[in-house]
Amino acid sequence: MASATSRRSGDHQDLINQAHLATLGTLVAGVAHELNTPLGAIHSNHDVIERALRKLKEILEDEVVTPDELEQVRRIVRAMDGVLTTNGIAVERMVKLVDSLGTFGRPDRADVDRVDLREGLEGTLTVLTHELKPIEVVRELEDIPRIECHPNRLNQVFMNLIHNAVQAMDGEGTLTVRTAPDEGGVRIEIEDTGKGIPGEVIQRIFDPGFTTKGRRVGMGLGLAISRQIIDHHGGEISVESAVGKGTVFRIRLPARLPRPEAREGGPE
Amino acid sequence: MSKISEATVMIVDDEEMVVGAIQSFLELETAYDVLPYTSPESALEELEERPTHVIVADFMMPEMDGVSFLTRAREIRPSATRILLTGYADKQNAIRAINEAGLYHYLEKPWNNEALKLIIRNAAERARLFEELEGRVGELERANQELAGFRERLIHAFL
Repeated sequence: MASATSRRSGDHQDLINQAHLATLGTLVAGVAHELNTPLGAIHSNHDVIERALRKLKEILEDEVVTPDELEQVRRIVRAMDGVLTTNGIAVERMVKLVDSLGTFGRPDRADVDRVDLREGLEGTLTVLTHELKPIEVVRELEDIPRIECHPNRLNQVFMNLIHNAVQAMDGEGTLTVRTAPDEGGVRIEIEDTGKGIPGEVIQRIFDPGFTTKGRRVGMGLGLAISRQIIDHHGGEISVESAVGKGTVFRIRLPARLPRPEAREGGPE
Repeated sequence: MSKISEATVMIVDDEEMVVGAIQSFLELETAYDVLPYTSPESALEELEERPTHVIVADFMMPEMDGVSFLTRAREIRPSATRILLTGYADKQNAIRAINEAGLYHYLEKPWNNEALKLIIRNAAERARLFEELEGRVGELERANQELAGFRERLIHAFL
């Protein structure tokens, strides 16, 4: 069993910007996936409504309605019932997605807020629904106190950790998300049953630019930036992993942000 | 199945809205019997009971992926024509799987209704031809057996 813990942070503005872009990319891809299904259904239903209307107009062209035409009208009514039900489900899905985006990165939201972090975790899971489809998701979410934090930045950490966990499982496994109160603050755990991280890798996992995923912009920055964000909150992030069994990331956050003079630089 | 319009079409997708939208369209535009399912396991149970001519299944489903589902569906209903629905991001994986499983067609989401109608019509026609062929093969086998019996009787009669 290998593990690593870090509290230290550096000042890497370029790296932060690149990591923001990488998170944004994951977010946009997730939203696009999630919109695709309801939009596809509504798109098809729009076509069905057009066809149905055309048929109705043809039937109404002459004064007499034949028994055959009456049967057609019944068929149209059945199809319209289906369209209405499906559109209801599709619209509800899109409203939920927009709601979860609201918890994610609304520009009008206060940068610092007192929030229940379970909202951010649920929002992240919603945005990543498509990626999580073949994965079993277990929620062990104990009641936790609201804490003073930068909610959007913490959501960036959740997205990064959950996205990594899904990739480590390669289409099969269990993702467990836990929350619990912790000495006035909160404790969050994100655990996967993926391939695990070898000991020589885990020691460098929070280093900026370290990656095992090949060279792409933003890759290898996620965990370094996550650590910075957690440090900035006066918290702690640690990892424990066993090759072939899985990995768990633990985050502890205090109830309040540290006073500015107590901090050693931050992600601004 | 005597006419294409009498085909039974099964739609399987874990998303109720996808199944619902395709069902509404087929009910309006065709005379097919539509069997809508959001669970691949329940769909397989139905296949055991009910002759089905065309099966349309989604690729990415939590219970069972579409290719595994369609592979099992073939064991139950070998004459049914199988079509895979795929999202854009899953396309590469899906195409590889399609080639491995020997599926008839794949359709990308969001789908075009007119294309869907045409593909299902051709798929139903293919299933009908397959059934006819199976029928003919059966007739041939029976005729062969009769001939073999006749030959036996002839040999016994003359020896």
